[in-house]
Amino acid sequence: MMGVVDPVAARLAVPLTLPIGIGPSPAHAAQGVGFAEMLQAGIQAVDHKISNSDVLVRNFTLDGSVPIHQVTAALEDARMAVEVAMQVRARLVETYRDFMAMQI
Amino acid sequence: MDAMAISRTALDVEWQRLQVIAQNLANENTTNAGGDGPYRPLRLVSGPDAGFEQLVDANGVQSRPVGVRVVGLEPLADGARRVHDPAHPHADADGFVTYPNLDRAAEMTLLIRTSRAYEANLTAMTIAQQMYMRALDLGRR
Repeated sequence: MMGVVDPVAARLAVPLTLPIGIGPSPAHAAQGVGFAEMLQAGIQAVDHKISNSDVLVRNFTLDGSVPIHQVTAALEDARMAVEVAMQVRARLVETYRDFMAMQI
Repeated sequence: MDAMAISRTALDVEWQRLQVIAQNLANENTTNAGGDGPYRPLRLVSGPDAGFEQLVDANGVQSRPVGVRVVGLEPLADGARRVHDPAHPHADADGFVTYPNLDRAAEMTLLIRTSRAYEANLTAMTIAQQMYMRALDLGRR
């Protein structure tokens, strides 16, 4: 019993980690991308989600080949993306106002 | 793959499973499916949507959550049901008609399980979305 490797123990010995997020960003990515480009890429991603849900809704109403859960999931996806974009915009405008109201 | 994407793949799979069960029930009395004998009840087989290298990664423990996908459609090895009906156009030389041996109780059980799995994945999706929106409330003024 001593010399035998317990398969379960061997399996649990491997640390199971779930990577979350983007992690430490590579050096080259941090150099060239400015805030404006990031903002524009984000807005384009939101726009892509909206148009994607648009296409799904159209297909669903036209021929019914699309399952309804795909339509509602895409709509929810688009709604949440717009919500995040609105949050970013609100913080951006707020910071801008703070700067403009600064007495120099 | 985030939780919502995983649940979405599961919804797709269960949706297709429902279609296969509906097809099985609809073809209960099909005696000649495309000229090669009676209809054979099908089962949808699903599995994790991961590549081989991902499955054998880290001693067989998947290192990241993946969705589910349809692996294939397999016919059930149930044999056939033979009914003596010489007047039937599809009767053989002995006067027997061959029907698919559909287990109705099994189909119904699978139907309920499919429905419950669909609901469970919808619930998981709703919870994931609620967590997402709650996190968005962080720092809102």
